[in-house]
Amino acid sequence: MENITKRFPGVVANDQVTLEVERGSVHTLLGENGAGKSTLMNVLYGLYQQEEGTVYLDGQEINFETPQDAIDAGIGMIHQHFMLVDTMTVAENVTLGNEPRKWNGLAYDAKSARDAVRELSERYNFDLDPTERIEDISVGEKQRVEILKTLYRGADVLIFDEPTAVLTPQEVDELFRIVDELTEQGKTLIFITHKLGEAMEISDDITVLRDGENVGTVDPGTATRESLAELMVGREVMLEVEKDERPAGDPALSISELVVENDEGVRQVDEVDLTVHEGEILGIAGVDGNGQSQLVDSVVGLDVPDEGTVELDGEDMTRASRREHIMSGMSFVPEDRQARGLVMDFDLVENALLGNQYDPDFTNGPRVDWGATRDHAEKIIDRYDVRTPGVETASESLSGGNQQKVIVGREILRDPDVIVASHPTRGVDVGSIEFIHDQLVELRDEGKGVLLVSSKLDEVQQLSDRLAVIYEGEIMDIVDPAEVTDRDVGLLMAGEMPDEYGGGDE
Amino acid sequence: MSDRQYPAPVQRFLRFFVGNSVVERILISAAALVTAIIVSSIIVLVAGYLSGEAYNPIEIFAVLVNGAFGSPFALDSARLFTEGWSPVNFSMGTTLKETTLLIFAGLAVAVAFRGDLFNIGVQGQLVLGGLAAALALVWVAPFVPGGLVGTLLLIPFGLLVGAIVGGLYGAIPGALKAYADANEVITTIMLNTIATGTAFFLVSAYFADPTLQSVKTRPIPDFARLNGIVFPQGGQFSLVALVLALLATVAVYYVLRYTSFGYDLRVSGKQAAAALYGGANAERMVVSTMTLSGALGGIAGAMWSMMVIGAWRQGVPSVGFDGITVSVLAGNNPIGVIPAALLFGVLKGGSNAINFQLGVPPELVAVLRGMIILFIAMPEAFRMLGNRLGIKPDPASAATGGGGNE
Repeated sequence: MENITKRFPGVVANDQVTLEVERGSVHTLLGENGAGKSTLMNVLYGLYQQEEGTVYLDGQEINFETPQDAIDAGIGMIHQHFMLVDTMTVAENVTLGNEPRKWNGLAYDAKSARDAVRELSERYNFDLDPTERIEDISVGEKQRVEILKTLYRGADVLIFDEPTAVLTPQEVDELFRIVDELTEQGKTLIFITHKLGEAMEISDDITVLRDGENVGTVDPGTATRESLAELMVGREVMLEVEKDERPAGDPALSISELVVENDEGVRQVDEVDLTVHEGEILGIAGVDGNGQSQLVDSVVGLDVPDEGTVELDGEDMTRASRREHIMSGMSFVPEDRQARGLVMDFDLVENALLGNQYDPDFTNGPRVDWGATRDHAEKIIDRYDVRTPGVETASESLSGGNQQKVIVGREILRDPDVIVASHPTRGVDVGSIEFIHDQLVELRDEGKGVLLVSSKLDEVQQLSDRLAVIYEGEIMDIVDPAEVTDRDVGLLMAGEMPDEYGGGDE
Repeated sequence: MSDRQYPAPVQRFLRFFVGNSVVERILISAAALVTAIIVSSIIVLVAGYLSGEAYNPIEIFAVLVNGAFGSPFALDSARLFTEGWSPVNFSMGTTLKETTLLIFAGLAVAVAFRGDLFNIGVQGQLVLGGLAAALALVWVAPFVPGGLVGTLLLIPFGLLVGAIVGGLYGAIPGALKAYADANEVITTIMLNTIATGTAFFLVSAYFADPTLQSVKTRPIPDFARLNGIVFPQGGQFSLVALVLALLATVAVYYVLRYTSFGYDLRVSGKQAAAALYGGANAERMVVSTMTLSGALGGIAGAMWSMMVIGAWRQGVPSVGFDGITVSVLAGNNPIGVIPAALLFGVLKGGSNAINFQLGVPPELVAVLRGMIILFIAMPEAFRMLGNRLGIKPDPASAATGGGGNE
């Protein structure tokens, strides 16, 4: 791929990127969220058309209009979110769209489909039963079905989009074994990831993307984690947070014996006890998907817990509505800013009203005071350094970092007693991360309670006064982030008690 | 970047419509109108050839527009204007009568659409609202003094009854969706049939006018009807009704744009998760949006009873269904409903004129009407479809306004 440029409204996702992948190798595209990795691969896969640049395959210029063209040329992509039909079998899913036929094409040949899938599965050691239904198999197995799908269609180049994001550590090991198997048989693999460790472990080459630019291709044999991290973010990674010691005050938010079950009755949050004091940042660390979202939803009033209570400033809010939570002084920076935190189609004035639409400051009875709301939007932009042409710009055309600043600004200017921040810096550029961190610390210094959920360990470790580690819905332990070692937190996040801990004295 | 993938030609096609500005949308509608006229002219010529009659398409379209307003232009003489033409005439009344009813029906559909609800049940809400208004007026009229006082009391009363009954009937599919997760498209379609059947049964079994053979209620007393004040009595059109329709349009626009409720409604329609985050009660929003929509449909029904028929009878015209097309034409914008409804009214009024003046069979006129509506509605329908499928406008055309970001 040579000099690929791809623009989106207001953003250059790929700027003159050149990438060379050798046949039969594992090439990793490393970069932060929003660095343009997926965009580049979507150009290769025919989902996007580049504005500039040329793609060559085996020395020949190619131009894919659709993914079908890419598949025909032997390029397959395994997306992060699987595209499988749950009620159909493995063999049916693999052959879907290219089914073997019998009776002159009149009927689906189930037997030869099964045989073909079994044969492929055995050749690459996939350990899959073609007759099992998708709904009955594990996530790791589903991913292997996706890989089989591309192999069945004759792919020689396989693109993996963040393949480990949804896998357990064991499944990751299994995936890496399969990766070896595939390269041994001559396949070319491209890995998209933002995880350093993985990139070092499996790659033959690592290309680092930053802000849509190729900032270097390195050999994992000679590179260090630190050098890679620096390439990724463009400067020293460890952002030190300036924070004074200060005594915590009264409980601001108390969560006790909280239980949230999913539709199948499985506990997503299991008897969680947490107290956030005034003037304290309580961090929750954990691998994504260990019940953090469910915990947050039931604390902020988007969901009613199955058991337990949530108290805000001593008042029982367990069954209170979301609006009552907002009215009683709780701010919430949601994890998914584009689905929840902002209305993408609306401009910044209208977005400044979200959550404030019943606040007397912005309304006159049933009427919205758009004048006051506009002033508020301008204040957010001004104070929180939101880069936008103006308040009438749709939030959709802002970059991720600026979108997040709008939300953080709106939620902090609400003058809350308690703020719940869920992954507040996910996918946000480095400059904005620092700013958002400072804002959270400032709130704490003003004596507000802050509940911070993040899967970034260094973030929660630096910001928190106390750090709770969650694993499979349970709080493993609450530790002092200044004293605990990375290793111990890592063990807790993996559900293991480090030796020096007697038991879970929560 | 959506995970769902649609075939590239489909994406390219829909992307064209999604990215259009308001001016472009108006230009596209104008182009669609011209195309519709050309295509239907061909149909007219072919139909004329096959039936052995020589229809002149130009003449048909001239009469269509001219006739809708009571022939202000003298088409067949040297003078441009018809002598003695007055804007207050029978054809104009018919056109505006249709327009008035369609404004209410169109608003009803548009309000629901803005909340991401597809209310196909406006017809049923209209039928029951109209019946309730007629019955209530027939019952209450004897207890109210006649004359102007009675008119001033009973007209708002009749409209209110229509709104309440239509609103309640709209609340049913709303509640079914909110609390039982029943798709409102399915339930409203079923409730339409139920409304028509129930109304027919009630009137034929209990409320029929004993002096008539047909399924029709007793007449609403004259002073409780929306009579022609400026327009002739026989025209079934009251200027008051049109004024009320325009006021309702402004009111709906105001509620959507300038109230907390309207804000919640629009956010719920755009992004349900963001509405919940902002403190809207999803279930209550669905029910109240459908209630508001149903109330507007009920008023349309009350207008039909009080203005057009002067009673309720079976065979309610499909104003509620036409309201869907009006709303689509208007891009679900309440202000846009006015010109969209007027276009429908003109087509309706004008096709009567074609029938009278040129003897073109009404079926062929209906085909022409359908062609025009189809052509004009399709670009808007594609735009809505594209939005719903999450297809983003072409970056190249949208990038102009996006400077200043990282």
